[in-house]
Amino acid sequence: MFFEADLAGDLMRDKWSEHYKIDINETRNAWNVSLQQEGGEWVRYEISKQDYKMVENLVNLIWEGGSYLIDVYGTGSGIDYTVYTRSSFRTVRIYNDEALLHESLKKGGQMGSSDNLSAGMPGKIVKTLVKVGDVLKPNQPVLIMEAMKMENEMRAAAEVRVKEILVKPGDSVESGQTLVTFEPVK
Amino acid sequence: MFKKVLIANRGEIALRVIRACRDLGIPSVAVYSDADRDSLHVVLADEAYNIGPAPSKDSYLKAENILAAVKKSGADAVHPGYGFLSENADFGDALEKAGITFIGPTPANIRSMGDKISAIRLMRDAGVPTVPGSGGPVDTIEEAKKVVEKIGLPVMIKATAGGGGKGMRVVHKIEDLESSYRAARSEGLNYFKNDTVYIERFIQNPKHIEVQVFGDTHGNVVHLFERECSIQRRNQKIIEESPSPSVPPEVRKRLGDVSVKAAKAINYRGAGTFEFIFDNTTKEFFFMEMNTRLQVEHPITEMVTGIDLVQEQLFVAMGKPLSFKQEDVVQRGHAIEARICAEDPITYVPSPGLIRRCRHPQGPFIRVDSYAYPGYEVPIHYDPMVAKLIAWGPNRETAIRRLDRALTEFTLTGIKTNILLHKSILQAPKFLDGTYTTQFCDKDLEVKMPKLFKAVDDHVFLITAAIAAFNDKKSKSVSDYNVASRWKTVGRANSLRDQ
Repeated sequence: MFFEADLAGDLMRDKWSEHYKIDINETRNAWNVSLQQEGGEWVRYEISKQDYKMVENLVNLIWEGGSYLIDVYGTGSGIDYTVYTRSSFRTVRIYNDEALLHESLKKGGQMGSSDNLSAGMPGKIVKTLVKVGDVLKPNQPVLIMEAMKMENEMRAAAEVRVKEILVKPGDSVESGQTLVTFEPVK
Repeated sequence: MFKKVLIANRGEIALRVIRACRDLGIPSVAVYSDADRDSLHVVLADEAYNIGPAPSKDSYLKAENILAAVKKSGADAVHPGYGFLSENADFGDALEKAGITFIGPTPANIRSMGDKISAIRLMRDAGVPTVPGSGGPVDTIEEAKKVVEKIGLPVMIKATAGGGGKGMRVVHKIEDLESSYRAARSEGLNYFKNDTVYIERFIQNPKHIEVQVFGDTHGNVVHLFERECSIQRRNQKIIEESPSPSVPPEVRKRLGDVSVKAAKAINYRGAGTFEFIFDNTTKEFFFMEMNTRLQVEHPITEMVTGIDLVQEQLFVAMGKPLSFKQEDVVQRGHAIEARICAEDPITYVPSPGLIRRCRHPQGPFIRVDSYAYPGYEVPIHYDPMVAKLIAWGPNRETAIRRLDRALTEFTLTGIKTNILLHKSILQAPKFLDGTYTTQFCDKDLEVKMPKLFKAVDDHVFLITAAIAAFNDKKSKSVSDYNVASRWKTVGRANSLRDQ
């Protein structure tokens, strides 16, 4: 499962300063959690379920040699998690697929970079709106993708020329899959 | 012995009084507002009466509601705790008129110390040092020079209408007096349209030192030494210790003697506290005000003297002589108290709300006076202090280490608390060497903060939140999937029947 997260690093002063990408999956015996701070390297942790246990609704974590008793609970709209341990606390805002979609829509759907447009979440292509060779203006719709039972217009992030269209209507796509590639306009 | 004692208060101090009553076998009566039905004092007292809506002015400050509860319960004495009606002379009068004992000073005691300016005059007449100054407006530079000659440098020139640092000048050298005097006057005129100024001794490195006194109805007055309460935020104390690391033995003796003399001058009854401003450069002290009640920080005095102050209050109110003499009172070791408040540790903004988890520290030489429990919702209507953590040690270093240990063990989640603030204070060099002043939280603390707040690796928070979010998402999708059609349910049930 893929998340993005904001960590309120400066306690809870509404200063959402640190942004992370999180890739997490669960196996029978362990949690695999990879973290990437914006601009940094991916760091991967494998946490045995012996080291991550629930005790009376609290997390009893042994991590990198440290022992933590942690209280974690969702607050607000359900995307904020407040985490307490060792007299310290943080709020972590977790964006899952749904939240990421809303975020991206707020930003005008500019999910692509200047050399490609990729799927921010798993979905189905409904319609393509451009042809190879088209010169697109920033914010121009490129294709319509259905995800989370909603149709979303995916738009260009910059002025670009369409180089290749890798999907056709009806295709199912995975999160992160490249849909259209661009080249700079000369 | 009292038949029954009603406690006209809430929170940890109500618990403290309930416990003192129980130690003496006296039944206790709690009163509570609508917001406090679930508060711990209601649970721990023998009886409990509702006294009105949540706002203090409609309940804990409403004397007639409390008097009605006294009547209903048949209590013959009332302990007011601190705050609320504790320094309300009219309340004391009303009780005595109804034949109920007010466990506190006489209403006359309260009145004489209630007005700050007349209290200072009264104390000066009783021979208690007060901050030297002009005592009134200084209208000419010649007059200013005379005042300085009398009280000595450094001085502070203050515009009477001033505030926020405007219209204030500190003078260290006599040659600066004239220019500072004119500057203070013109600033007063510019900012407050009033150029009246007065002159006062400037207290360098000010500390808050207070002395606990106790009087009975037989003319005995003793002191129980000093407490230092200079660690303050928003002008409210958060850490107190006894003895003060800055008071030399001969000054300590003088503090005690002066306080006993002052209490005798007003025939003081019960527990009271003289507050002084202490100049840590010259080691002089000057009277500020008297608190005619039990103080929040009384436990540190109990820890170093071994005297139960609340029990003594009850005895004195029963008309018994003090159970100890001045020579019985000795300071043994060192005690420190940290006030645990439901507030943001950096901005000090109160953070009431639901306590999810609460685990009080335990172990040797730790005392916890707390009304927090898991599932309790800290109401927005009252003081944010939820607990007091007190540590004792044979010396200051040990007491500090034990307090730090207890803070580490203190788990309080769901609300923000100032536990981390306390931990940072206990690491600050100025706190450790005892030279801290009342400006400590504003001036000396900033640097230490970030390191401590980052003591836990950010990845711990991220990993935990991610796993929680993963589980939430998974359980949500599983439950969606499981919403079976009713047709299917019926079909399955039928297929399982005996055929």
